Amino acid sequence: MQSTMSRRTLEEMATRRDRSGSLWLVQAFSGLFLVFILGAHMIAHHFIVEGGLRNYQQVLEYVANPVVFVIEVLFVILGVVHALLGVRAIIIDLRPSAGTLRLVNWGLVFFGAVAIGYGLWLAVALQRLAG
Amino acid sequence: MDDIQPTTDPVRPKAPLRSWFDVRGRSMSTLAFALNRLTAVGLTIYLFLHLSVLSLLVRGPESWDSFVALAKHPLFLLLDVVLLFGVVYHMANGIRVALVGMGVGHARHKTLFYVLVGIALVLFVVGAVLIFTG
Repeated sequence: MQSTMSRRTLEEMATRRDRSGSLWLVQAFSGLFLVFILGAHMIAHHFIVEGGLRNYQQVLEYVANPVVFVIEVLFVILGVVHALLGVRAIIIDLRPSAGTLRLVNWGLVFFGAVAIGYGLWLAVALQRLAG
Repeated sequence: MDDIQPTTDPVRPKAPLRSWFDVRGRSMSTLAFALNRLTAVGLTIYLFLHLSVLSLLVRGPESWDSFVALAKHPLFLLLDVVLLFGVVYHMANGIRVALVGMGVGHARHKTLFYVLVGIALVLFVVGAVLIFTG
């Protein structure tokens, strides 16, 4: 019964191939943006700082800059979206049933929303601490 | 949620996860794909660990600065180098996959791979040196 239902759903899904392609484009473009944003993040936080990592005061001074705030927020959003779309692609390769995949999709959306919400809260909290 | 797309492609391996680690008789493209997936898993785990560690900042200077002191231990720096390899490889191969997927450089995707991975290796060596000497 489960198998029949899954097969029927798969046939329905085959007609929607173009919509899945749009998710591939989101992953590709988020990845290309991340090349620049992650590059800037790693250089700013790990390579140009004496000793390799910013101490507490240096972090607050750094995030007080509004441009840095925007870059870090974009980094959280694009990073989480790109990562979770990648997780979804890997799970799809493991050939889950349609029902399992639907559950995974909702789980990833929930997890992603929590992670982005947490990241935004953290960015705002640090901006306030920086005063 | 209506766009879910389980693969029905008959050429996909029956045990895709196991096939990542089976390098026998594999083409460069397949190995590049497998390594891309492995680095993706590692980077995803790291991203969420990194986000959770950043919460130390809102606990105050003692929490963050003691973590920074720990993160300067050579073992942590070695993990940073592993992370850097994952980032630069995933970035280089990801650019290739995105370009080829959009129809750019499809005929020369192997050359594109070697050039991009070559650039990535240079960035990796420079970054690894900076991690230990910076």
